[in-house]
Amino acid sequence: MHTEVPQIDISRVLDAPRGLVYRAFTDPDHFVAWWGPIGHSLPRTEIEFDVRPGGHQRWTEVSAANPGVRVHVHVDLTDVTDGELLDGLMHVTGRLPDGVEAFETRVRVEFHDEAPGRTRLTIHQWLPQQVTGNAEQGWLEALTTLDAALIDTRTPPSRVEVQ
Amino acid sequence: MAGTDHLSAVFSALADPTRRAILADLAERDATVTELTASLPISMPAVSRHLKVLERATLISRTRSGKWRASHLEAAPLREAADWIERYREFWDSSLTRLDAHLAAVQAAERPRNPTDRDPRPPTETASDHKEP
Repeated sequence: MHTEVPQIDISRVLDAPRGLVYRAFTDPDHFVAWWGPIGHSLPRTEIEFDVRPGGHQRWTEVSAANPGVRVHVHVDLTDVTDGELLDGLMHVTGRLPDGVEAFETRVRVEFHDEAPGRTRLTIHQWLPQQVTGNAEQGWLEALTTLDAALIDTRTPPSRVEVQ
Repeated sequence: MAGTDHLSAVFSALADPTRRAILADLAERDATVTELTASLPISMPAVSRHLKVLERATLISRTRSGKWRASHLEAAPLREAADWIERYREFWDSSLTRLDAHLAAVQAAERPRNPTDRDPRPPTETASDHKEP
């Protein structure tokens, strides 16, 4: 479904062993401690994880500033390797802060050993397709190109218009 | 939201490699259709059609000076599109920073059971999960 280049490509080394980092993503008690966005909380009773291929991760994000804003996130896990990989399609619904309609986004997280006792996390995200309406498939590539162009060549302080 | 519709037009315009090539040219300098055509393997009317798409998406503006009509890159919509992507990146960045802090706290709590602070090996209970080099 999403075979194109992901728009988000993040790599980060964490000072913790791989098993622990994997638990932070897959154990609800760990997950609530760090998952964003900032200012949101995740009610512990509304988390349901069933981590395996074909399983799911579900939770609700409640805005502290506006408790009426409740975002429901359901991840259908397509590919899971214990301690190594989580890949799935994230469905975001509910009352979103900026009124944006529901969307889907594929997210892939890989966990790699990094000496000594550290973990390299790589995150790939394919941004929601529906935001572009009926745009051609190529828009994904365009985003990647645009992203690289703007970041590498001509974005001094953000929001300064480059002429 | 209207913003999303506009973004659709922007992303749709960006979906074509020729149009991206044109934008890359215009990032260097304003240019006429003739000048743009010189660096592209397509005809002048084809370039004109692409310019119309870019203009509708407000990615360029066109000014007439004398008999020449030059195209000018409009950076604001590009910035808007980049900001849209950036929201997702910021989400990950801030979440991973909190994850870092969480992992540090969890490990600090486990540390009394593992007094060799500098020992890179994970606590015994998880050692079997790992193929240590």
